[in-house]
Amino acid sequence: MDQTASAKSIMKTRSGTSGPNRFLREFVQQKYLYLMVLPGFLIVLVFAYFPMYGVLVAFKDYNVAKGIWGSEWVGFKYFKQFLDNPMALRTIKNTLILGAYGLVFGFPAPIVLALLLNEIRHTAFKKFVQTVSYFPHFISTVIIVGMIKEFTSLDGLFNQITGLFGLEPINFMTESKYFRALFIGSGIWQGIGWGTILYLAALSNADPTLYDVASIDGANRWQKIRNISIPAIMPTIIILFIMSVGGILGTDFMKVLLMYNPSTYEKADVIDTYVYRLGIEGGRFEYAAAVGLMLSAVSFLFVLITNRLSRKYSETSLW
Amino acid sequence: MVYKSSVGSRIFDAVNIGFMLLLVIVTVYPLLNVIAVSLSHSDYISLGKVTWFPRGFNTKGYGIIFDKPMLYISYRNTVLYAAAGTLLTLFLTSLMAYPLTISKFQLKNGITVFLAITMFFSGGMIPTYLIIKQLHMLNTFWVMVVPGCISAYNVIIFRTFFQNISSELRESAYIDGANDLVVLIRIYLPLSKALLATFALFTVVAHWNVWFNALIYLKDEHRYPLQMFLRSIIFTQQEGQSSQVKDMIQNRQINPKNIQMAAIVITMAPILCIYPFVQKYFVKGVMVGSIKG
Repeated sequence: MDQTASAKSIMKTRSGTSGPNRFLREFVQQKYLYLMVLPGFLIVLVFAYFPMYGVLVAFKDYNVAKGIWGSEWVGFKYFKQFLDNPMALRTIKNTLILGAYGLVFGFPAPIVLALLLNEIRHTAFKKFVQTVSYFPHFISTVIIVGMIKEFTSLDGLFNQITGLFGLEPINFMTESKYFRALFIGSGIWQGIGWGTILYLAALSNADPTLYDVASIDGANRWQKIRNISIPAIMPTIIILFIMSVGGILGTDFMKVLLMYNPSTYEKADVIDTYVYRLGIEGGRFEYAAAVGLMLSAVSFLFVLITNRLSRKYSETSLW
Repeated sequence: MVYKSSVGSRIFDAVNIGFMLLLVIVTVYPLLNVIAVSLSHSDYISLGKVTWFPRGFNTKGYGIIFDKPMLYISYRNTVLYAAAGTLLTLFLTSLMAYPLTISKFQLKNGITVFLAITMFFSGGMIPTYLIIKQLHMLNTFWVMVVPGCISAYNVIIFRTFFQNISSELRESAYIDGANDLVVLIRIYLPLSKALLATFALFTVVAHWNVWFNALIYLKDEHRYPLQMFLRSIIFTQQEGQSSQVKDMIQNRQINPKNIQMAAIVITMAPILCIYPFVQKYFVKGVMVGSIKG
């Protein structure tokens, strides 16, 4: 009896040294590492993970007193409500069109500029163009929209130009048919230079002897761009394209918010601005959260699909 | 290498350089025009005669902006948000990234996954707002500084940078009795000045330009950052002006655009002034960030 008891206790201590005890010893050794990670961990937990849990509000009848968890479940009530709403079609359509225009016009612009910059042999001039073209990236959205407002006003730059062709002045900001062009155009103005950085880096990694050999073989500039430069940036193009497709529904809605007005809602109102108006301004949290959740779910699906397609047809993919 | 430039190649160069000059003009002209309008006489503005340079020199727009107490309040707020936000971002990101470079740290993989998830999923605008509201952080100083200060992306870049620092330095510091916190502050951070400077710049610019968070999280004007002040100048109609300013507009002593463009210039000036000197660090920052991608 006595023997078995002591044997058991020996076994206990033995298994202890290789199990929890070692873990504890390491834990004590690493106490500073734990301490260092703690503040960041808490911030991410509270401001990134709590809101993920807070998404549940989309399935609930939110009651401030009961909190998110305590509120009544209502299932997909708010999702159905949105899809039955005639506003849904308008905002989905506007979001998709703005996203598609961004992809068609905004995405290739920096690629073209990078290829052309790469053809400039005068280094100082190239540096100068780069420095100038990066700057708009650092201008705030409020300033950009303020400038658009000034240029599109009746006595502004745009009407000065159209006036040269004898056209009547127009207030571009209040006519919905100009909204998309202004939105995408100003986006390109702001982003084209900055967007070249990754492409230029990929181009500088292209083997210079390839260009020499091609010159000896009598290739002209266009052939060199097509057969050497473009293949050199293809992986970068594909990765950035996948990310852009994932972001196609993620309109820069803060810019829309500053740019639009009731007379342009018809073309300008996107899902995110709708969420803002109903949720933050109108206090319909559950409904707005449901709309936001649908948007992120579809966006995520877009990334998955493009990534799958890219992996299938080329060697490059995000994962 | 000697180029035997063909005619076609030279035409290509000429067109290309022409295109680049056009790009420079299209980029610079709007900015110069903003400055020119801010300094021009009302009549030239309404006739659409102001282009590159001010016409009928007039600084009344600046006078009106400089008379607004909210300018100074919001400027001070933005400087405080930017300073506190940047310090917090750099310090907490370093603290979180350092342990992830130590392979035997028990939570290394756990924390990495914990951060990576946030790169793909987020709660969205409304749930984030509700959490911040429940924490009673609405309308506080900290709501502009704390929630965005740790990003998975930054932590990963810092970790990658720290990994390139020789671990022998760390080991020898241990022997001298230093703990990890001391190693980070005394050895790693001084060796990471370039990284810290680059990210400080990015964070300061981000704080300088923020307005949407202020719009949804702040109610009290006196906490508003500079961009919210600018927004109120640009997007409020004349009714918001004092009667004195209204009279000036009536008498065509001043154009509302004078005031609006002056506000833009005042907001943009600091960035415009430091930009030429720090531009190369921004580019470096993008490159550092893309390595992991």
